[in-house]
Amino acid sequence: MIRVVGVHKTFGPLHVLRGITLEVPKGEALVIIGPSGSGKSTLLRCINLLVEPDAGSVFIDGVHVNRPEVSAEWVRQQVGMVFQSFNLFTHLTALQNVMLGPVRVKGMEQEAARVKAKQLLARVGLAAKAEAYPAELSGGQQQRVAIARALAMDPKAMLFDEPTSALDPEYIREVLDVMTALAREGMTMIVVTHEMGFASNVASRIVFIDAGIVLEEGHPNQIFGNPQQERTRTFVSKILR
Amino acid sequence: MAQRTAEDRKRMWRAVDVALAVVLTVGGVGYAVYAIVGRWGLDQGYIGDRWLDYVFAAWVSLYVTTIAFVIGLVIGFFFGWIRATRSVPLGKIMRDAKKVADAQGLDHVPFPATQIIWHGFKYIVRRFGDAFVAVIRGTPLFVQIVFVWSVLLIRVPTLNPLVLASIAGLIALTANTGGYQSEIFRAGLQTVHSGQVEAARALGLSKFQAMRHIILPQAIRLVIPPLTNEYIGLLKASSLLIVIGIEELTGFGRREAFDFFKVFESFALVTAIYLLLTVPLSRVIAYVERRLRIPGLGIQEVTAPRAPRAAT
Amino acid sequence: MATEAATGQTVSRPGIVSLGSVVRVAETIVGAVLLILILQWVLEFEIADPRLWSIYWRPFTDGIVGSLGYIALILPVSVLMGFFLGWARISRFRVLAWPVATYVDFFRGVPPLVIVIFASLIGPSLMPERFQSRTLGLTLAALALAFHSAAYQAEIFRAGFQSVHRGQLEAAQALGLKPLQAMRHVVLPQAFRLSLPPLGNELAVLIKDTSLLSAIGAIDIFGLSQDVQQQLIFTPGSDLRWLFIIWTAVALVYFVMTYAMTTILAYLERRVRVRGLETMSI
Repeated sequence: MIRVVGVHKTFGPLHVLRGITLEVPKGEALVIIGPSGSGKSTLLRCINLLVEPDAGSVFIDGVHVNRPEVSAEWVRQQVGMVFQSFNLFTHLTALQNVMLGPVRVKGMEQEAARVKAKQLLARVGLAAKAEAYPAELSGGQQQRVAIARALAMDPKAMLFDEPTSALDPEYIREVLDVMTALAREGMTMIVVTHEMGFASNVASRIVFIDAGIVLEEGHPNQIFGNPQQERTRTFVSKILR
Repeated sequence: MAQRTAEDRKRMWRAVDVALAVVLTVGGVGYAVYAIVGRWGLDQGYIGDRWLDYVFAAWVSLYVTTIAFVIGLVIGFFFGWIRATRSVPLGKIMRDAKKVADAQGLDHVPFPATQIIWHGFKYIVRRFGDAFVAVIRGTPLFVQIVFVWSVLLIRVPTLNPLVLASIAGLIALTANTGGYQSEIFRAGLQTVHSGQVEAARALGLSKFQAMRHIILPQAIRLVIPPLTNEYIGLLKASSLLIVIGIEELTGFGRREAFDFFKVFESFALVTAIYLLLTVPLSRVIAYVERRLRIPGLGIQEVTAPRAPRAAT
Repeated sequence: MATEAATGQTVSRPGIVSLGSVVRVAETIVGAVLLILILQWVLEFEIADPRLWSIYWRPFTDGIVGSLGYIALILPVSVLMGFFLGWARISRFRVLAWPVATYVDFFRGVPPLVIVIFASLIGPSLMPERFQSRTLGLTLAALALAFHSAAYQAEIFRAGFQSVHRGQLEAAQALGLKPLQAMRHVVLPQAFRLSLPPLGNELAVLIKDTSLLSAIGAIDIFGLSQDVQQQLIFTPGSDLRWLFIIWTAVALVYFVMTYAMTTILAYLERRVRVRGLETMSI
């Protein structure tokens, strides 16, 4: 479904990605872990072209997407993204946030979009908060609206960029539950997270990225139980403690 | 290799962009200068002869502005401070008086007359300050100048007209900047978070100490950039003294333009002097504001440049 | 009012016309009446003196109409220009941003009076023959005043644009919105709301600045009142205290106009206010 081949990215003097290669088959939930500054967020942004890779190729559903002929807007409709800081549109209600994409990008009818948005909000357990503005919602509720907003575009895959790290502990559970349900339904997902419980229960594979390269990948039991690389072992021991 | 070319392409576009921007900016300014003066040509002999007179006129502008600004600081701080304080409700004064009476074991509560008079006085001064600022901000400086001038004209008719105009202009400018500065001081004092005062009082600092050591140091940082902008604004506003015949830079330039038909030369000199006085100062202020801001503290964050966050 | 700002929180979500705003308007009217009464007492004049108004009424009303005419010409031009200049100012294309920055620096660095005087002196000679007329200098000066205010408004709109959080744009792009769509549906509504209060102040300044046009002979409230003042001063035996009536009346006219402008913009801001964001200030 998503294939990343030899992707490089530099920001000025910073060489953030140094040739990343990854493959995520349809229906798989891949979890990316790694120290901060290792390039995880940049990798996600390279996949939906919020950041343009300097070199290498990104394939989505077999289409080579980082070519001038492919419009970035089309790519972004194929993969939804959920941000660490939610980024709900502050001037729109929860319902309007979810409706915006279908109406403006896909040209869907207002009424149809409203029905769909309500279904999605119900699915993330927020049917009652449809008319609330982001500032009136808790962090966990905002993040669930953000997930519904991404799902409203009927994406083929979802990218999660540390979706729980800006949340108070009591709200983390509700967001992870929504994500777990999504994975069980067979959504293709790439999740950057430090939630090890989620990673070992839901992920089919874990990738450890350090300093812009894939250092190790494998089944959760292997990465957490018996890491091969020294760097992985140190990192895992830190976050599992 | 492919990585190199993408980077190179970006660099090339940026160079083209910058080059075009420079061409457009310089070309635009150049064309404007040509359109205004080029076709007739500037009389350089006139400029050579008279530029010192323009500088002197600019000195008059700066002189008036500075005096008005400094006196305005006193007015502005006083009204800004008094308007930043809150009213004490009558009920609270009565309750406090009762508390004191209880603590001292008195069987009747003495009427807190001095308290009420003091807070009432402060309330009236505050409302007067509000009205003062509303009038200054709501009416043109032209009207303010002419009003003060006509008051002096009627009350002290024996005064030499030039002296009368100078005093009237100075009073009007001072009152004007005092009103605007009081808004600046009020905003600066109020922006210091009330939690800061609470924390200071919790440490055992007195009201005065909290003002001296906690509020003022924070407020001054907030207030200096807008005050400098106010000085620049006042310098430009001093041009309005033309209406009562004071010859600062603008008035002098206009007379020269009419007396000697040197419109373009006068315009060039007047604008050049104003720009030389204002643009560098406001640039410095913008820079200082960016540099010296304490993170997270600011009357508004919106002046911050868009800092590209490197995503990781 | 002061306490509200001090604690940084509004009491409750106000309706479109809240009780608080009605009280504030009433307070202002009472304050203005009180102030005029005090002025009358201190300066010993009678604002409704029919002897003055019999000669001053015509210029007074004509002047108000004239001033409103200039405002109606200048205000829309300046807002439109200011908006697009502010937009260009944040462009990542330096071709747009740099010339606009120069424009803004120029118009903010020179007093509006200088711009008005010299636009009326120089402007007509730059225009082609068929535009020439007696009022051309005045019209150009009025436009120059609009350009001047546009420079200030550009900075206001720029600040509005920049205060919209960067993540908002990223989220819009991640949904697949095109740059112009993201601007139209996400950035603009937020930037617009944030720009309204400072825009109200700037438009009030613009209204006051129209009085500058009297320096080059415009038929406005300030200019016509000055003419009456000259008449009074050079007519022997006239009561000079009438000047107080004239200038108090003129001040009141400008005060009403600027107050109306800021009130309208404050009302607009409440209309587009978002629940839960009241405490956010620009």
